[in-house]
Amino acid sequence: MTDDREPGRRDRRQRPRRRAQGELEGLVLAALREADGPATAGWVQERLGGDLAYTTVITILTRLLAKGAVTRERAGRSFAWTPVSDRAGLAAHRMRKVLDRESDREAVLASFVTSLDAGDERLLRELLERAGPEGAEGPEGREGED
Amino acid sequence: MGVFVFLPLVLPLTAWPVARLAAQHLHPRTATRLLTALAAVMAVCSTVCLALLMVVGTAQLPGNPLPDGWSDPEVRAAVPYDEVAGRAAVPALLLVLAACTGTLRRHRRVRRRGHAALAGLPDTEVAVLPDGEPYAYALPGGPRGRVVVTTALLTHLQPAERRALFAHERAHLTARHHRYLLTVRLAARANPFLRPLRAAVAYTTERWADEAAAEAVGSRRAVARAIGRAALVSRGTPVPTLAGLAAPGPVPRRVAALLAPAPVTRAWPSAFTAVGLAAWTAAAGTAVSAMSSANSAVTLALVLRAATPL
Repeated sequence: MTDDREPGRRDRRQRPRRRAQGELEGLVLAALREADGPATAGWVQERLGGDLAYTTVITILTRLLAKGAVTRERAGRSFAWTPVSDRAGLAAHRMRKVLDRESDREAVLASFVTSLDAGDERLLRELLERAGPEGAEGPEGREGED
Repeated sequence: MGVFVFLPLVLPLTAWPVARLAAQHLHPRTATRLLTALAAVMAVCSTVCLALLMVVGTAQLPGNPLPDGWSDPEVRAAVPYDEVAGRAAVPALLLVLAACTGTLRRHRRVRRRGHAALAGLPDTEVAVLPDGEPYAYALPGGPRGRVVVTTALLTHLQPAERRALFAHERAHLTARHHRYLLTVRLAARANPFLRPLRAAVAYTTERWADEAAAEAVGSRRAVARAIGRAALVSRGTPVPTLAGLAAPGPVPRRVAALLAPAPVTRAWPSAFTAVGLAAWTAAAGTAVSAMSSANSAVTLALVLRAATPL
């Protein structure tokens, strides 16, 4: 699991300029989205101003491929890459991975609801029925607060 | 002192009834603060007691850097079963330290990874993620706390319910609920008898955020419906429970509480009702335990100080 390493630590070793892994993926994806149709890794590297090594661009594109954010097709001796999702989609994918990996994330992330068992579900439906349909706001909203 | 030395280790048991009553009858804000403070005091006393027992039990071992006076017969007379207790205290203390360190590290890791996952998105308080799985939570820390919501959840909510959801998550961030949650979690690691307090605080912080959201959007029903709907669409993973014995889970209890009138701030139930009597008895018992817990720990520390050769 190479992804387990902290992005900051990895950058310090490989590049003088520190950038989080997520940020680089976002940059590459954004560059790819500016292309008309499929683009090669060389084109992406040029587009980013050439401050990333060619191999780094390839690595990031491969990582994006694994996340389903891009697709590729063979074009001659290299690959042509096409974006599938945008930055938000990529962030959603990364967040899912964080959530799936952490078994006791509840400690940090107070999530809006927890899961229900069958009894809870029945009880909840009854309660919601009692709450009435939406739009039917009673004047009860603020009672007891003054 | 006899067996009283061991009191801080078992007295957290007395906090159970007060945790239950506070979660049910107090305003969630008061309950959260009270239970968190209680858990913290009891966890610290329990850990100090463990450390002192370890010192008494091991100071006489050869090669130990601790003053020999700490395991003089007079000191050891204060601790029953000093041989066993002292040696058992060493692994117990190490276990507590390891568990607490692990909890802290996990806490930091989830926060760091959560913020890293959002890197590259516009720097807004609410981050909406295009995802088929409905979920929402508050991500504390980082440059700013953020509310993370998926499109799958938002499409299931009416506009008023969305406002309720955002207000709820914002309340978590502004009231720094993660600090209370981390405190009780660490306390539960320090002494497993404090686990019910952890569950109680997890519930009261949710209730607190629900009440704050109800006040912000001006409708208790909108918040109740938002919770109910969100729970019903994200029910994918059922929790294994013994169906016959299961009490209503936290979600139905929260919805029911929101459909009832708002809780009154700072009102302990009157001592002349059955509930009030039980609550006051439980609270008094817990206060006495917390104090005797602290007392035992301090006494043991004083005994050791007196035994230290100057």
